[in-house]
Amino acid sequence: MNDTQPAAYISVQHMSYSYPDGTQALRDIDLKIDRGEFIALIGQNGSGKTTLSKCLNGLYKPSSGEVIVDGLDTRSTSIVQMVRRVGYVFQNPDHQLFSANVWDEIAYGPRNIQLPADEVRARVEEAAAIVGLTSDDYEEHPFFLTKGMRQRVAIASILALQPHAIIVDEPTTGQDIPQSLEIMNFLQRLHDEQGHIIIIVTHDMPIVARYAKRVVAMGQGQVLADGPTAEVFANTPALAQTFVEPPQITQLAQRAAHLGFDPRTLSVDELVQQYLALHDR
Amino acid sequence: MPPIVEIQNYTWRYLHADVPALQDINLTIEEGSFVGVIGPNGSGKTTLAYSLNGLIPGQYQGIKEGTVKIAGTEVESYRPGELPQMVGVVFSDPEAQFTAMTVEDELVFGMENLGLSIPEIRERLEWVTDLTQLKPLLEKPPYEISGGQKQRVALAAVLAMMPRVMVLDEPTSMLDPMSRKRVFDVLARLKRESHNTIIVIEHNLENLVPLADRMILLHNSRMALSDGTEAFFRQVDTLTEAGVYPPGGIAFFHALMKHGAFAGELPLTLDAAVARLEGLMSHE
Amino acid sequence: MNKTLLGYVPDRSPIYAIHPFVKLFFLLVVSLFPLFIAAPEWNFGLIIFVLLLMWYSRINMGIMRIYVPVAISMASIIFLAYVILGGYHPEYAQIGQLLAIRVYWERIRDAIVVYFRILPMIVMMVFFLNTSRERDVIVAMRTLRIPFVITYVFAMALRSAGMVIEDFGIVRQAEQARGFDTHGKSLPYRLRKYVMYMIPLFALSLRRAEEFSNALIARGFAFTGPASKIKRADFILTHYHFRRLDALLTAIIGLAFVALLVLRYGFGWFTLSRSVFLPWLETLLRHR
Repeated sequence: MNDTQPAAYISVQHMSYSYPDGTQALRDIDLKIDRGEFIALIGQNGSGKTTLSKCLNGLYKPSSGEVIVDGLDTRSTSIVQMVRRVGYVFQNPDHQLFSANVWDEIAYGPRNIQLPADEVRARVEEAAAIVGLTSDDYEEHPFFLTKGMRQRVAIASILALQPHAIIVDEPTTGQDIPQSLEIMNFLQRLHDEQGHIIIIVTHDMPIVARYAKRVVAMGQGQVLADGPTAEVFANTPALAQTFVEPPQITQLAQRAAHLGFDPRTLSVDELVQQYLALHDR
Repeated sequence: MPPIVEIQNYTWRYLHADVPALQDINLTIEEGSFVGVIGPNGSGKTTLAYSLNGLIPGQYQGIKEGTVKIAGTEVESYRPGELPQMVGVVFSDPEAQFTAMTVEDELVFGMENLGLSIPEIRERLEWVTDLTQLKPLLEKPPYEISGGQKQRVALAAVLAMMPRVMVLDEPTSMLDPMSRKRVFDVLARLKRESHNTIIVIEHNLENLVPLADRMILLHNSRMALSDGTEAFFRQVDTLTEAGVYPPGGIAFFHALMKHGAFAGELPLTLDAAVARLEGLMSHE
Repeated sequence: MNKTLLGYVPDRSPIYAIHPFVKLFFLLVVSLFPLFIAAPEWNFGLIIFVLLLMWYSRINMGIMRIYVPVAISMASIIFLAYVILGGYHPEYAQIGQLLAIRVYWERIRDAIVVYFRILPMIVMMVFFLNTSRERDVIVAMRTLRIPFVITYVFAMALRSAGMVIEDFGIVRQAEQARGFDTHGKSLPYRLRKYVMYMIPLFALSLRRAEEFSNALIARGFAFTGPASKIKRADFILTHYHFRRLDALLTAIIGLAFVALLVLRYGFGWFTLSRSVFLPWLETLLRHR
């Protein structure tokens, strides 16, 4: 091991997790996540991807092995300390929202860690701006907002804690494409402009192809594939074990590989360029 | 024989809404067809689904204009309890529509509501569990089965009532890809083996497109497009404007069409796309 | 293992051989027994009897540990309430003094009698909830020909309870993910913050209620009107057959109740004056 390498922001070592009733959900997981990564965690329901994501911010404590975040061990650090480093946005915003208005909702986190009032205000305004909420929205009661708005409020309330890593559970489920792209775009901005680690737990392969730089594919409680997106999608045997299929455009490219197409293609534009190039010969 | 669904100049505005949820809808659906309805969130798809089985105007308050007829009779003219026999609806949340304490009870519930006898119930139960492959799960309570399995149960429960029209409102939006496929497998089998008219509202087009005879696009409460599936997907600009992204294979051939490199029929399945690409490449 | 309302029953348990109606009948009738039995030793015997039934049904007896703190706190509350606030008659015998309060034997006696009347009822409830699946309760109610609407509302309540419990788990995690931690905080603090759990639960239930009622209507269900009056086939009952054993058990339970009444009112059994334990205890406390 190279001692001069900076330590990974999140380091999972030989981690296993079993539920209280005894069933083992995760087996001997090893994972390193560096600052500024954009990762998609994929896998069938029951593969352990959601369980793993909850181990990363201390919601679940490992049964054996360890999870170290920014030098802190999740088993011995309080949840309040953890959420300042790793934020977790749940799939259904209704599980998280409880305040009478949007402002208080977003302000809860900063107030809870006892920041001074002007710092709280600054953070709320910043978080709201990132997700596209305006001052008109501050007085609204979250219950009466649309689903898309509620999700933004939920994300903002996590952002207000300014964690370096943000885990989002199913950002696009139940959304139409334009809404999905909007959410993914501001996650991408957080990543590109502010260097946050973004981890999405998702089934949506076209979104993974478009936004994620690295894919961790899970199956039966283990990591079956871990690498750059195109590489994982090309790893057919591993993917078959996860019961997950690459996006249709990648599948098309893979099946047309014998015609000269690159099986690692991730987007329509890439494939079109290849076609035109093949025909210009 | 009148078409099974006949909607004319239909406009619906919810009571406290500023704008109508649906405007000037004109739609005719022949019995036995498989129709896909797509469009951005808020375009009126769910409103349309609820209008077909009487939930609108029965359960929701608002102002209705125009007519919605099922099998020649206006939706409002059906007596209470009659319309669910004609039009079955499967909703998007697997949890909220599982109302009983075991799978079998859930399947039987609708049939009991119709007043069927025990032998009839037994027979339909047999048929429906075979079609949806639910036999091993019959005794299980809802907390022991997955979301995808619950949706298959919902499908089966509605099918057991043998409605002439099946409406599915985003049935797979909360499911993982494998469960999604299994639900669509049931729909495919249904299409092959029965005469039900099937109307599916969906965002996920990959599974829907191979099955749909016809596609409808709702955008801003209006019907922006209605056509046979292949012709539907040629309308690239209308689709893009409405925020509809066709499956990868179709999108690829769209792009080729734009470059003038392709002028044939759009492939509606991955296999067809591969075949077409092979065909194109061999014409060198 | 099969899950019941409160716990688990192994796949091979004698309890499955019994029609759900009998289980409900047992609960309803035998719960009344303590009302007619004053002598604590008899009620105590009833508790032992039900515990034996639980053991015979192969319930994991370890679960009774959960109820021990409840039993102890209940005993303390009843005891203190009676000792401090119990009735007074001039013939009451004082056996001691607790600070400013005179401790009378009769009050202690009353506390013991009441406690041993409540305890069997609780144990029977635990027995019932640990051996009945949700479906059993519904079958029992339908067998009793309770109107379907009532049965169904009850079933929906069970279903909803399950969903709320599931939601609660997720809400707890979701709030933790926002830095909400009750770990090591005081009880008043926890109670005040409970609103953070309640609001999401309400929101989820309200949103679900609309879909739930739509689903009911889509299945042709009607609470009122002509459609609600059709004769239901009650398919669920085809799985359960009322056998001779069930009839026998029902008869035994019924007869036991009748016998209890006869013995109590005809022969004065089970009364305070006939108790063996109480005089012994009184002697012990008064003549230390």
